[in-house]
Amino acid sequence: MFILSFLVRRLLQGALIIFLVTLLIFTLLRVVPGDPVRLMAGGMAPEALIEQIAKQMGLRDPILVQFGRYMAGVVQGDLGQSFVRPASGAATGGSGFSDASRSDRAEVLTLIADALPMTLQLAALAIAFALAFSFLVGVPGGLAPNRWPDRLAFYVSSIFVSLPNFWLGIVLALLFSVKLGWLPAIGYKGFAYTILPAIVLAIELAPVLIRNLTGSLASVMQSPFIAVARVRGLGRQRIVYGHALRNASVPLLNLLGIQISGLLGGVLIVEFIFDYPGLGLLTVNAVMQRDFPLIQGIAIVSSAIFVLINIGVDLIATLIDPRLEY
Amino acid sequence: MANPPVLSVRDLAVELRTESGTRSILSDISFDLEPRQIMGIIGASGSGKTVLSRALVNWIDPPLAIASGSVIYKSQNILELPPGQLRPLRKEIAYVGANPMGALDPTLPVGAQIVEKIRAVVPGMDKAEAQRRVIELLGAVRIPSPAQRFHEYPSQFSGGMMQRALIVDALATNPAFLVADNVTQPLDVTVAAQVMRLMRELTERFDTAVVFVSSSLPTVSEAADQVLVLADGRIVERQTPAKLIREPQHPYTVQLISEIPQIWTAAAPVVESPERSGTPLISIEDATRTYRVRKRSSFAGYNNVRAVRNVTFDVYPGENFGIVGESGCGKSSLMRLLSRLESPDTGRVVCDGQDIAKLSGAELLKFRRDFQLVLQDPFNSLPPRTSIGAIIEGPLKVHGVNSAAKRRERALAVMHEVGLSAALYDELPLGLSAGQRQRVNVARAMVLEPKVLIMDETLSSLDQTEQFKLLKLFSQLQAKHGLTYIFISHDMAMVRRVCNRIAVMYLGEVVEIADNGKLFFDPGHPYTKALLSAIPTLEKRRYRPEDCLLEGEPPSPIDLPPGCSFASRCPKAFGRCHAESPVLTVDGKEGMAACFLLESAGGRIAA
Repeated sequence: MFILSFLVRRLLQGALIIFLVTLLIFTLLRVVPGDPVRLMAGGMAPEALIEQIAKQMGLRDPILVQFGRYMAGVVQGDLGQSFVRPASGAATGGSGFSDASRSDRAEVLTLIADALPMTLQLAALAIAFALAFSFLVGVPGGLAPNRWPDRLAFYVSSIFVSLPNFWLGIVLALLFSVKLGWLPAIGYKGFAYTILPAIVLAIELAPVLIRNLTGSLASVMQSPFIAVARVRGLGRQRIVYGHALRNASVPLLNLLGIQISGLLGGVLIVEFIFDYPGLGLLTVNAVMQRDFPLIQGIAIVSSAIFVLINIGVDLIATLIDPRLEY
Repeated sequence: MANPPVLSVRDLAVELRTESGTRSILSDISFDLEPRQIMGIIGASGSGKTVLSRALVNWIDPPLAIASGSVIYKSQNILELPPGQLRPLRKEIAYVGANPMGALDPTLPVGAQIVEKIRAVVPGMDKAEAQRRVIELLGAVRIPSPAQRFHEYPSQFSGGMMQRALIVDALATNPAFLVADNVTQPLDVTVAAQVMRLMRELTERFDTAVVFVSSSLPTVSEAADQVLVLADGRIVERQTPAKLIREPQHPYTVQLISEIPQIWTAAAPVVESPERSGTPLISIEDATRTYRVRKRSSFAGYNNVRAVRNVTFDVYPGENFGIVGESGCGKSSLMRLLSRLESPDTGRVVCDGQDIAKLSGAELLKFRRDFQLVLQDPFNSLPPRTSIGAIIEGPLKVHGVNSAAKRRERALAVMHEVGLSAALYDELPLGLSAGQRQRVNVARAMVLEPKVLIMDETLSSLDQTEQFKLLKLFSQLQAKHGLTYIFISHDMAMVRRVCNRIAVMYLGEVVEIADNGKLFFDPGHPYTKALLSAIPTLEKRRYRPEDCLLEGEPPSPIDLPPGCSFASRCPKAFGRCHAESPVLTVDGKEGMAACFLLESAGGRIAA
């Protein structure tokens, strides 16, 4: 019953958040300079035609009217059509004015549905790498405060946090792909293509996770119930893995929920560098082409993902620690 | 002695080893624990009791270290056993500490953790078998509906309930001896009395020898066959309890016995009420406060926690007004209403003819100036990185004393008054003792020259000696500044010593208000009698716990049943008590109590 009430409450809140994000993005996109019709129709198209297309598309209506129309579509699962991408393939736009391709522009939903699984795969692998690495470095660090494993964890996370991801991406691609030839780097033709970008993202995520894990594990190890557990006769393994890590995982989980948003930002750069066909690359291109419907669609989908992940994280946290109330 | 001792301690010494040197904590500790014996160990805070109790179970961690000596169990020195060999022995060596709420993992059900312990020390124990045994034992320590409680989490247990569960945890493997370190200290008196009775019963049933460590001589003397007195890390006296109290030998023991508060003897202090002049300083009129807490078991339900119910009383200038009751009775919620940290849902708190909930701006600031709070926890109530001078000057800044020189002068004057040296002005509170910290708290409250100080369990964390000193300080301040005190406390002995009028709270209601003498010698309400029966004291009791209190704990303030709230624990409850709720009735001239028995007694009120 608690879970049901929790989910209903949080999903309603989440829907409100997504609505507000959409409103914000929608408004911002329409007040920034740059006329998307000009980009769609091409530099050579006559002014009158541009006005006509803009009117047809409803781009000259008041923003709230446009927003209402848009949201009416969104609730029916229609995120609109891309301004610039044809349904058939590569992005158009540029200077040439070809009327033909405009007639069947790509559905935003389809574009996102193609790219999203790729990014989810990348993100999942990155989180798995980051968690594995953080536990490997952070758990010994947390169990030995102020001794060498703790310092090692501190140095490792300091170094990682100082590495810029665009630089690291290029260096790793050069090393593993070009020099050693172990892993493919550019584009996507199979699972192996996910590994290098995931490592770059993981290195970006890991330092904060390591610091958090060493810190919270060290403080949980100070709790009275850990000290008493030994006197009660529990073994070291049970105490650390059964109790200390269980308690330390709650702050880690909460942090992970926040880090996911950072991950969505990191994906932009990393996917662009590795030419990885995910949501990040789609976003970069959409922004460069002022493809309003696509940008909006991505914003809605990303905020929905973010909201859902945080609901999930809080739910797991309350299942681990029954004292929490969300 | 036919049987060899269960445990032999020989020449045990423990040191504190820090970078600045080594300090001896315990030295020359030697004693034997006979089978089925209850050995009491008593000492002031800082005498090394807790270190000793931990050394007995080999729980000495750096910076503490064993300097010499041995703790022999079954002809092995458990201080030298490697962890691998010691762990199976934990089955026979049990320990219960003073912090029940922190002793188990908060994220796992209580039952599962006890089963985990049993299985860790008894390899090959079947899980279902262990669970059956735990549920049976939870029932044996009188935890209600043990099969259901087994699956609940530590946060769902009260302190007393948790201490019972930990006793189960300790005794589940039939240990040869049990070290009980201050087990009753965090508990309310009525619950502590029950836990003590339980421990005695169980040690007989399980044939366990007990080392019972406590800072309360009355508690130890009731429980133990023999008492060791510990002072400055040494055993200074060893006696049977009766002899110890009759003819204490060591000066420390003599002092300890002299500090035990007197409740009913001729030596007990008499606190007279001051002349009532004019109007009450503060009146609380029929105030109620209910908190809404989300109900986890339902979709959108809330529980109403009725923390304060229909409380009415007046406090007159110059009084020492006491509010007593056990944890969860609503004392602190009432404090929040009196100090306008919160406003009552219904009813009002009146000061100077004005409802304080309606104050704002300058008027509210004036009210705050007159009513200052001193809180319970001396460690968390002071900001650790602010100098003591700045802490005391803080309120002056808020109340518009802009000149730094004036603030400093005032702060130093107050520090002098409460007995803090001026040299502490620039120090951080870091190195201060609990007593000094409470003085800083008092100074911070006094700096604004208030009319009323509300003391929320201000003395509970201090030992007897410190309490004495601070109480003396309070009466000096009162004489000098004409202060009024409101003491909120669970400590009946302290209240007996200082308060002229006392309100007894139970489950959010004031069940009795009476003058000091009347309350202690002729209480009107059965709950007051129960509280009096549970005071740890060496005196001959006026009220026996067996006659005054039924087993159990206060019901939850959520969804209170109709009728008198004390009916479930009252040995004198009858039909009407379960249906109607009694109101405060005049009982004698200067007392009021909420009990039907007083009505039926009619005019024949016991004098």
